Amino acid sequence: MPSDIAVIAETSAGQPAPVTMELIAFAKALRGDGSAPIRVFVLGAGVEQAAAGLAALPGTAVTAFEGRDLGFYSAEAWNRVLAPRIAALKPRLVCVAHDAAGADFGPALASRLGAACITSVDGFRRGPEGIVFSRPMLKGKMRMEVVPESDTTVLTLLPGSFRGGERLLPDGPAAAGEPPAPESLTAPGSPEIVPVPELPLKTRPLGPASAQAGDADLAGAEVVVAAGRGIACEANLSLLRRLAAVFSRSALGASRAVCDAGWLPHRLQIGQTGQTVAPRLYIACGISGAPQHLAGMRGSRCIVAINRDPAAAIFQTADIAVVEDLVSFVPLLVEACRRAQGGGKGAGS
Amino acid sequence: MRILVCVKQVPDPEAPVGIARDGLSFSVGDGDWRMNRFDEFAVEEALRMREAGASGIVEAVTVGPARAAAVLRRALAMGADEGLHILCGEEGRLPGDVAAWIAAAVRGRGDDLILTGAMSEDAMHAQTGPILAERLGLPCATAVIAARLLPDAAAGPSGQSGTGGNRLRPSFIRVERELEGGLREALELPLPAVIAVQSGINRPRYPALSHVLRARSQLLHTVSVEALPAPPRRERVVGLAWAAPSGKTLFLAGTPGQKADRLAALLGQKALL
Repeated sequence: MPSDIAVIAETSAGQPAPVTMELIAFAKALRGDGSAPIRVFVLGAGVEQAAAGLAALPGTAVTAFEGRDLGFYSAEAWNRVLAPRIAALKPRLVCVAHDAAGADFGPALASRLGAACITSVDGFRRGPEGIVFSRPMLKGKMRMEVVPESDTTVLTLLPGSFRGGERLLPDGPAAAGEPPAPESLTAPGSPEIVPVPELPLKTRPLGPASAQAGDADLAGAEVVVAAGRGIACEANLSLLRRLAAVFSRSALGASRAVCDAGWLPHRLQIGQTGQTVAPRLYIACGISGAPQHLAGMRGSRCIVAINRDPAAAIFQTADIAVVEDLVSFVPLLVEACRRAQGGGKGAGS
Repeated sequence: MRILVCVKQVPDPEAPVGIARDGLSFSVGDGDWRMNRFDEFAVEEALRMREAGASGIVEAVTVGPARAAAVLRRALAMGADEGLHILCGEEGRLPGDVAAWIAAAVRGRGDDLILTGAMSEDAMHAQTGPILAERLGLPCATAVIAARLLPDAAAGPSGQSGTGGNRLRPSFIRVERELEGGLREALELPLPAVIAVQSGINRPRYPALSHVLRARSQLLHTVSVEALPAPPRRERVVGLAWAAPSGKTLFLAGTPGQKADRLAALLGQKALL
């Protein structure tokens, strides 16, 4: 009966990526009472230091695949190297981040291994049928529970949903995170380094391409007013600008849909593939609250959501919810805020 | 060149959706289905590639019940040349099944490029593209935000004189993949390949009237899943449920004006004004 749990690590600038630490915490929670070490696999060129850092963590057994041809990430290279090793290990679970790399190689790895594939997971519970994985659907409005029907399952975990061994996202049916199992008392080990000689590939990774620099005003803003597809048209951005003008050190941000439509530039996009912001106040206007957007703003100190759809997923994360049409509500809010600030700032604009 | 685009019919995000009595699928009003938004970007990308080359056939394929033919007609209305309907029952399908059926239906046909959307708006698995590629033994790139076929029309003929004029059949595709935090990476894949495209890669066109009329009457190719090998079942959905509120969210009540006043007061209390 396979029992091992594997984690596929990612590195950034020679260090384990933050999402990898989350995956290890998630894997330990999945392991429950077991004591077998979490099998961590690292791939790249010059990853010995990252591998040593991971091996120093209690309860891990680390293998690093080191080779010049692994210098740039490539799904083809990673799966070529990982598949035989994972097939031999026959783990119960292979935990991967649901990020650009993990969502790229994870499903293909699952298919190659004949494993179950469950993606975008943000929670789990133990049921009579075994572990039941929970994941968002319909931009977070609905939840799906899935069980594997294979001996090995490749899972991708939504980043930010399992920091520090505790589930951060609300989920009705699921239990809260479980206390971590007592760690083995053996000394932390050193990683196994597996040199990977030349790896001829059909695909050719070409390295970084043009990056979209984030907007500096947005990064430093105390108050962010964010536009989602619910603003309905570009002209309604003026309402949000008036709202932003009520506050000092404020900036406009955007969901991906607004940038895709060309209503605001991509440097203002907030979300997993855009900027991450954590202002004192985040006002989400017409934003559905899909997981990819939440990843970029859930650290905000106070989240206000305005959306005319009472079932919008954003309301699960918001501190204050306003179920109203924003075109009629935002002007009322601007006036109410100006009154609350006192007449000194001048009426209207 | 042959380009295959995989499209999925999903509930209209603007329309009310419920959970069916079996607790395992959606209940959706008859008129409330539409093409997955990410797949619209994929169809548009296929059409642009066909337009950039000398010749090409764009075929749309969908896996779904009878009602799913509507998204094939939408693809045809946008300008796709052919439609292939892999007909299955009403119950929801996991991407492993979908990828297995598409692979079985198209294996060996000689498609040069297969496009999918990055994920579906309803189930959000983001698996169909990579699993389809793996089953067909093809290279794959996901989260594609820019794509270019090579050689393209801008490149001159490179030593090959063909009888079909001076446009070479593309043999590579160069893509940019979107990473976290605004970063991108570039990758080149030999054709045939599968790419899963991100929203925003292009601006999908509205159907032209001439295409709409043709799309209504055009014959679709239909294959029943009963005629294809049964896919291995590796996962099982045990239930769908509405997401529960956190219990920590304060929903403001009253008229819009009252809500505005209350919100301004709350923001004032938190010293945010």
